[in-house]
Amino acid sequence: MSAGARYAFLLAGGLGSRLCLLSEKRAKPAVPFGGKYRIIDFTLSNCVNSGIFDVGVLTQYKPGSLRDHIGSGRPWDLDRNRGGITILQPFQGSEENDWYRGTADAVYQNLIHIRRRRAEDILILSGDHIYKMDYEPMVEFHRDRRAAVTVAITTVPESAVDQFGMVELDPRGRVLGFQEKPALGTARTSFASMGVYLFRREVLEMALAEDAEDPASAHDFGRDIFPRFLARGIEVYAHLFPHYWQDVGTLDSFYKANLDLVGDRPPFELADPDWIVHTVSLDQPPVRVGSGASAFRTLAANGVRIDGTSERSILFPGVVIEPGAVVRDSILMHGTVVERGAVVERVIADKGARIGPGARVGGPLAEGLTANVVCPEHLTSGLTLIGKSARVAEGAVVGRNCRVDPEVTDAMWTASLEDGGCMASPPGATPSHGYDLPAAETVKR
Amino acid sequence: MRRVMAIVLAGGRSEGLGVLTVPRAAPALPFGGKHRVIDFTLSNCLHSEIFRVALLTQHQPTSLVEHIGAGRPWDLDRLEGGVQILQPFVRREKAHWYRGTADALAQNLNEIENATAQHVIVASGDHVYLMDYGQLVQAHEDSGARITIAVTKVAPERSSRYGMVALDDQHRVRRFDEKPETSELQWASMGLYVFDAGWLMRALDGLTGPDLVYDLVLPALAAGERIQGFRFQGYWEDVGELGTYYRANRELLAPRPALRLDDPRWNVLTRNEERPPARFGERSRVTNSLVAGGARVDGTVMNSVVFAGAWIEEGATVEDSVVFHDGWIGKGARVARAILDKDVIVGENARVGDPGAGEDADALAVLGKEAVVLAGETIPPGTMVPVGGGRGRALPPSEAAVAARGEWPR
Repeated sequence: MSAGARYAFLLAGGLGSRLCLLSEKRAKPAVPFGGKYRIIDFTLSNCVNSGIFDVGVLTQYKPGSLRDHIGSGRPWDLDRNRGGITILQPFQGSEENDWYRGTADAVYQNLIHIRRRRAEDILILSGDHIYKMDYEPMVEFHRDRRAAVTVAITTVPESAVDQFGMVELDPRGRVLGFQEKPALGTARTSFASMGVYLFRREVLEMALAEDAEDPASAHDFGRDIFPRFLARGIEVYAHLFPHYWQDVGTLDSFYKANLDLVGDRPPFELADPDWIVHTVSLDQPPVRVGSGASAFRTLAANGVRIDGTSERSILFPGVVIEPGAVVRDSILMHGTVVERGAVVERVIADKGARIGPGARVGGPLAEGLTANVVCPEHLTSGLTLIGKSARVAEGAVVGRNCRVDPEVTDAMWTASLEDGGCMASPPGATPSHGYDLPAAETVKR
Repeated sequence: MRRVMAIVLAGGRSEGLGVLTVPRAAPALPFGGKHRVIDFTLSNCLHSEIFRVALLTQHQPTSLVEHIGAGRPWDLDRLEGGVQILQPFVRREKAHWYRGTADALAQNLNEIENATAQHVIVASGDHVYLMDYGQLVQAHEDSGARITIAVTKVAPERSSRYGMVALDDQHRVRRFDEKPETSELQWASMGLYVFDAGWLMRALDGLTGPDLVYDLVLPALAAGERIQGFRFQGYWEDVGELGTYYRANRELLAPRPALRLDDPRWNVLTRNEERPPARFGERSRVTNSLVAGGARVDGTVMNSVVFAGAWIEEGATVEDSVVFHDGWIGKGARVARAILDKDVIVGENARVGDPGAGEDADALAVLGKEAVVLAGETIPPGTMVPVGGGRGRALPPSEAAVAARGEWPR
């Protein structure tokens, strides 16, 4: 494969409302994952490990954190003179420009970036999936069949088909039809689209130009572009990816994908020297485990200090577990401190949270819990979320399905928080990372 | 500090480190779980805003050269200045290795000239300490001395390893005893100097012998040149010997270590390896230890420093030890009071070091890079196993792993 023959658009702009407060201040691909990574690291590493060094990242919703993380692209060897990484923000300028109206529109508005490139194959990727995939076999498959477009697919359990775009195939791998998020029991196939599309360049350009003119279109690849191809008899192929792939767009799937890494059989090896997941490594000393500490089934990044107990947990750089504190089945992001005697169970704490001495946060799995009042659809399985830089006061008790918003202070804790409760941020305390848009303009879909 | 150039002596063999310096120069020696010894000096340069750094190398520079690269981790990849590695080279008229510290400087005289610095810091690459060189240079400027020598207090029994100095009440050096058998003096030279650049270049030009102390500093003192002492109160350790190297690693495990690796205002920068977080298994037991990202602990680790990629298997015990990158300690093995270089394999149920009753409790077992201890084998305390050698035999890694367990451990 000659250099410059491929270009990848990485879609990283969506509003990840199902991740509740984890993605309220940052784009979903920038959400921390696995002890030292961000979700987007997996897709970016897939690109460079597959030999694709020309990547455009399409952002729209709160890109600040993502932009800081990517920087000049150095951790992925994407700070290059030829190619490299570009962050593509919505812009004004041409006649009908507006915020991106959908995934297809986002790519359409940025086609200018491939106009002067020689790339023949254009990959469209999603920035919020966890998987290690070499795109090269898919490119070969695509070229062998002279496909106009090839869609990567994976198998999903029948109980999850309602979350995916399902793909029906013939034995050669030709796509016969799509079912977008079918109701349980109505799926005609167990193959789901991974949101990884490989287009012949001229096909992509024509299809997007046409779609942009269609007032009835939602400008979405899965919903609009591919069904139109099938209706016209344009051949769409599907390439099966038989390894681990996880959409981490919901709190439960995000939590499970993290905790799987400390399970009996981690679904994939992060220490594989032949497929390094590249990320920004912080200048932090090794993990310090004190006398009287215990750590099992734990991933702990450099800069962690454990003087208490950690069981089945993921600890990001700078996490401190003080003596007598217990952390169980939890994900603690950068700089979270669990003070003396506190017990934390099934909790996801965002950066810089602080759990006061003797506090009790979260609790074991149970049936029939009250869903969260603020995120009743997404915070239902008993997890508890602690927002960025929030504090849980000394001795406070926080139940399950609870949400403690960013910047909550010690003084606000006058009573405990029952299951399903929410402690809202103090007024004025929401320094967001990135730009806040007026609510009406945030998403146009 | 634009007027300052730093020259780091990083070429010595450091015999005192035994097999650990066979594959590398002492400044490239791993330290504290993820650093190399040279990181301290380079980080001091960066934080002191000295961006013109030359490393003089000679013995086994490969590992050091790879670690330094273009100097990026220390922000020393620069258009102006930056870090350069000065290895001995052949000239038209002559070709010889660096014959000593002063000779190494003299052979690079034109690099010092080209730097057009006002002051030249000469530092050693095998010391661990956090120090603001700005204060040192300031003291040097204020005193108007030709040479300023940084000094630290050492215990009397260690004075035979150092240059011991007597200071007057103005901190001027009145006497300098190089490695005396015994000494009543308490201040020892840290091998860290600031020279007036013009004076240094003239002195190197007229050099009559190869050694920085005997042939440059002592003659200057005898000639009545002004030499100042700069008293450094912080933690400082010369890790050029096994005993001090081991102790300095162990001291990092103290509840409040004197040498801080995580001071946000003076952090120690290094080339970060791309490794996942450290992984603690179902039955891991870890107390009072440093475990770097990329290590995997399924067994027991006590009072030890474990580097990236090392894997302590279930049922294995590592105690009072330092395990470098990518070592593998098999099931049921016991390692105590030992230093294991990179890629060492300790077979199942083997015993390394671990002094028992009646044995020398201070004796260290040291295993060279890629050494292999066969399953069930015993390496007694105080033993040094050569690089790549199970009992002196050099085995290719593939065979070694087979010998150790019958299969490659990953």
